[in-house]
Amino acid sequence: MIESLFVLSPTGKVIIEKHWHELIPRRVVDFFNDQVSKAMAEGEDVTREDVLPIIASPKYQLINVYRDGLTYLSPVTKEVDPMMVFEFLHRIPDIMQEYFGQVSETVIKENFVTVYQLLEEMMDDGFPLTTEPNSLKEIVPAPNILNKVVNTLGATTSVSTRKMPHGMSNLPWRKAGVKYNSNEIFFDIVEEIDAIVDSTGKAVSCEAHGTIQTNSRLSGMPDLTLSFVNPRLVDDCSFHQSVRFNKWESDKVLSFVPPDGHFRLMSYRVNLPSQQNLPIQVKPSINIGANGAKFDITVSLRNTEGKPVENVVLTLPLHKSTTTLTAQCNVGQYMFDPVGKILRWDVGKVVPRERAPVLSGSFGFGSASSEAAANAGYNIGVEFLINSHSLSGLKVDVLKLFNESYKPYKGVRTMTKAGRYQVRA
Amino acid sequence: MYNVDAYLKSLTSNAVKLSKKVQDGIVENTRDLRFENQAHFLDTNEDKMREIRKNLDSRYEKEKLDGLKRLIAMISKGRDVSEFFPDVVKNVASNSLEVRKLVYIYILRYAEQEQDLALLSINTFQKDLSDKNQLIRAMALRVMSGIRVPVISPIVMLGIKKCVTDLSPYVRKIAAHAIPKCYQLDPAQKDALIDIISTMLGDNSTFTIGSVLMAFNQVCPDRLDLIHPQYRKLCKMLVDMDEWGQITAMDLLLRYSRTQFLNPIGKSTAQPAPRAKKEKSVVKSFYSDDDSDVSHHSSDSESDSSEEENNSVDPDLAYLLKCALPLLQSRNSQVVLSVAKLYMHLAPAEDSYKIGRPLVRLLRTHREIQYVVLNNIVAIASQRPYIFDQFYQHFFVRSTDPVFIRNLKLDILTLIATESNITFILRELQEYVKSSNKGFVTQAIEAIGHCASNIPEMAESCLGGLLKLSYSKSDSVAAQSVVAIRRLLQQRPGDSVFMITQLTKALDEISEPLARANIFWLVGQYSSQLPTVAPDVLRKAAKSFTAESESSKLQILTLGGKLVALEGTASKTVSLLFQYVLNMARYDLDYGVRDRARFLRALVYGKQKVASVTVDQDSDENDHENGQQESDSTEQDPQIDEGGFEYSEKELNLSDHIKAILLSEKAAPVQENPSHGREQYKVGSMSLVLNRVVAGYEALPEWPKVQPDPSVRRLAATMEAPGYMNDRTGFGSDSAYAKSRQGQDSGAAGGKGRYDGQAGAYRGAETLDKFLESSDEETSSDEEDDSEEESSDEEEASDEDEEEMSEEESGSGEEDDDDEDEENEEEASSSEEEAILPPKRANGRRG
Repeated sequence: MIESLFVLSPTGKVIIEKHWHELIPRRVVDFFNDQVSKAMAEGEDVTREDVLPIIASPKYQLINVYRDGLTYLSPVTKEVDPMMVFEFLHRIPDIMQEYFGQVSETVIKENFVTVYQLLEEMMDDGFPLTTEPNSLKEIVPAPNILNKVVNTLGATTSVSTRKMPHGMSNLPWRKAGVKYNSNEIFFDIVEEIDAIVDSTGKAVSCEAHGTIQTNSRLSGMPDLTLSFVNPRLVDDCSFHQSVRFNKWESDKVLSFVPPDGHFRLMSYRVNLPSQQNLPIQVKPSINIGANGAKFDITVSLRNTEGKPVENVVLTLPLHKSTTTLTAQCNVGQYMFDPVGKILRWDVGKVVPRERAPVLSGSFGFGSASSEAAANAGYNIGVEFLINSHSLSGLKVDVLKLFNESYKPYKGVRTMTKAGRYQVRA
Repeated sequence: MYNVDAYLKSLTSNAVKLSKKVQDGIVENTRDLRFENQAHFLDTNEDKMREIRKNLDSRYEKEKLDGLKRLIAMISKGRDVSEFFPDVVKNVASNSLEVRKLVYIYILRYAEQEQDLALLSINTFQKDLSDKNQLIRAMALRVMSGIRVPVISPIVMLGIKKCVTDLSPYVRKIAAHAIPKCYQLDPAQKDALIDIISTMLGDNSTFTIGSVLMAFNQVCPDRLDLIHPQYRKLCKMLVDMDEWGQITAMDLLLRYSRTQFLNPIGKSTAQPAPRAKKEKSVVKSFYSDDDSDVSHHSSDSESDSSEEENNSVDPDLAYLLKCALPLLQSRNSQVVLSVAKLYMHLAPAEDSYKIGRPLVRLLRTHREIQYVVLNNIVAIASQRPYIFDQFYQHFFVRSTDPVFIRNLKLDILTLIATESNITFILRELQEYVKSSNKGFVTQAIEAIGHCASNIPEMAESCLGGLLKLSYSKSDSVAAQSVVAIRRLLQQRPGDSVFMITQLTKALDEISEPLARANIFWLVGQYSSQLPTVAPDVLRKAAKSFTAESESSKLQILTLGGKLVALEGTASKTVSLLFQYVLNMARYDLDYGVRDRARFLRALVYGKQKVASVTVDQDSDENDHENGQQESDSTEQDPQIDEGGFEYSEKELNLSDHIKAILLSEKAAPVQENPSHGREQYKVGSMSLVLNRVVAGYEALPEWPKVQPDPSVRRLAATMEAPGYMNDRTGFGSDSAYAKSRQGQDSGAAGGKGRYDGQAGAYRGAETLDKFLESSDEETSSDEEDDSEEESSDEEEASDEDEEEMSEEESGSGEEDDDDEDEENEEEASSSEEEAILPPKRANGRRG
């Protein structure tokens, strides 16, 4: 049972509190803040992210989620499946994102009545009630331009009757009575590569995860069937609630009645056969001496089917004792953050068969602790993006629409990105 | 003409009125344009507070809303605004839904404090329960049951009873949610509430059933007898419930299964067949301590996982597991974990590998969820490491992982290490040692040690790696690796000589006290095998004695004592060295060191020798007496349990036993994983994550010793068939829809679905077959319908027909009547359903 929720600002102040069961006194927030600052005082490299998601206090278990600077704190008194609490707590910012476009302290304050109503509907006496954005939107209207104008023109009564003409639809995830002039549906196949690459360029671990983000703007109750050219590439998938599991099991097609608006239809995993598939190679070499080090980092393209790699960004956290850094690069620009000790190189766009970007230079350690610094390992974080490229080669075959008579406009985009991609030096 | 005039006149006047109205509206509301955002309501100065009351009494909705919003803002800031209760309650019957919603929020918050006033609102709610709009009915019941005023519990009860039979599944869902609230309000109503629950369990709407089960878990978790008739239905509906309902349902079904079926795990745990992997990689055996891995390889070809037909598993239980399996693909991580829970606690060991990959998938999500998953994986892997051994790469630590994630990953890596993946894991662990985080480095080194002790075959390479690390420039790395080596050597005395020799060579370079102390101890303990090295170490130690740390000094003393004990007084050099060390220790600053020196002197040289020792002996002799009693407890290495030495009380001369005292075999330290003990808790529970019992934790019931009557569920299947009749909804789900389809096909289905075989031995199993068959029919009809590729589907359908045929032979003739009844009922119910299904959907799905 999830009894209460406190949403805390980055400074630990309560922005909004909601009690679904019995009142839990605010003291618990002070206790929580103490624990957080105590945990963060333990070491200099301990950040807010390192604070345990479940902190025990004498009376409560403080389950907390830290996301975008805000803390969602839910003290529980009794045994509960913690995963369910986390899942629910993460749904709250998800829903707010859906409603307001972004989540921050100001956004919550600006829309707190809506937020409060949402919290009321999402949970009933400690048990999740309505968490589907489509259903919620029928109960708590989203603050869109139209609503605002209508409200301002004093049409309140008519609006409130208009708000629930249909009631709940038959499918919890889809609104009833959706109507569009032009019916369209878009699929974005986004694949992210997670990899750990060692200094010789060999992948220690490597795999790709794909998601199919969908934006559905279809009228009525369309029943869709999406099939792939090569569904066997897909491995270990999870689906949106609307997808019929058994159809996938038997025919490897996605059969579903889509929710209205944005949603994630499916996520899947692709096992990559070998490192051949990595589209980009980052070769660092760092020679550490007693007082500093010389380094150079080369970026080269490998397997992108001739497509350029965009938004390439490399970040190299340096040892805490680093004081000076000089470097030069032939492409893009670099930046050294002397406080966070992070070297960031914005490479930008890398085109195949052009000069490989190189960043070279040296950095020096301060007087103390050069011993430890000399032994430290370095990790380079890599970000990049390749448009209209799918690492796995997954292709949509046909989208069929049943139950409605119109012909929708269909669009599919693919994209490959770096997920958690890390190169060890 | 006149008419037209009058018409025009009225038109103009109307127009004027309209424009005036619009103008008014705009004037009244322009204020709002400025305050587009709601943040200004958070302003709480006193003037504004006074305004609230005025606003609430206003006849303009807009102002009322303003006032209410301000109140809600106060509530959300945690401020007490109960003083406004009378003003707010007046608005409970407002025409504006928006006003009412806010009033409800307010009432729910303060009703407990203002019980009398809250009663004023009850009338409105009761009226609303008959409203045309399902959302209003639902809202009324929700608020009414949420008001924690015990007096109204009979009214809430009436409300629940009314809503339980509501046509809207949403209202019924809310009614189910109201049941535990009513129970808390007035526990005396329990029996009546259980009656309601047992009726509602017959509800066939997937939308409602999850909440009913929640109410069941809250009010009468022990009345599992109510579940018997519904068990198969619940299993079947599982996949269509909403995600939170699935979680509740699996919880309940787990408890149910643990009381109703015999343990299928016990039969196969002893030798779980490793999974036969279809893909590229080699078959990996699971790690086991006691017997050879080779024996397991033989069985894998047969263990084809995908088939549910397993003789040792009760067919009903197998059905549950089969129904839960697709949920591993849910996007809700708790649903995935709940399935894992079912499989861990209910499924035969060879089936449990299915949960590995989905659990690993959850590692891609938020770090809080990762935290819970990893904790659970630790618990699962400590029992069944073979579930995860092929996923070792996923547990490699990233430099961006938070501390708590890192440590858990290390734990898992050591648990799942096997011969086939150990090389990769070891290489990876050695990489972590470079980290700048000291705690993490320590953990990584310990992890290497754990791996070595888990897999004796790999210990050598682990030791090699550790030895390399012990030369590390970083003191803490060196120290930790020496400690790890020491632990390992104790477990594997065979390797010691070479390793210790290596370590002593490094002694000059190692400065970390902990590392040095450990080396001295090792040398002393194995000095019998190091006849040349040991005295040399003592010589070096004697030279540097004054510069050593306290713990090293103690170990040097012990080392000396052991050497002398070993060689007797034969070796002059050793004896002299020892005496030299003793003398140095005598004037040490630390009393612990001085005490140890006295104790050892007395022990080693005893009374007869004391004279020859040149130092004054009074104090030593006293210590000698005390030393006797303490000899057991004051043994040297605090980290190591002393072996059981028994000394005879008569024999006071301890020096005869000196070898036994100093050089007894020390038991190898048991390496206890910090997460040890987690596996005793339910998978997914808070207690497991925290590794202690949290209030309210209920352990799983033990498996029954004797098979409970399986026919209770079968009885149900026929008796409860009328349940289909009261399905009013057809709530947009696969099966509900399929049922309506089945109605149409039932003419055909009636022909093929006939049973005319002999009565079998397992009645329970047969009826389940039948039950399964009916659901198969549904899926096949579903397929026919959804897809355009008729040809392939027809093939499938005919395949299924064949299957049915074969089952028919084993079916029972006596079942025939029941069967027909069922079909008739289904037919009836489905035709009723069609009438109620929203026409659009029904049509569209058919076309």
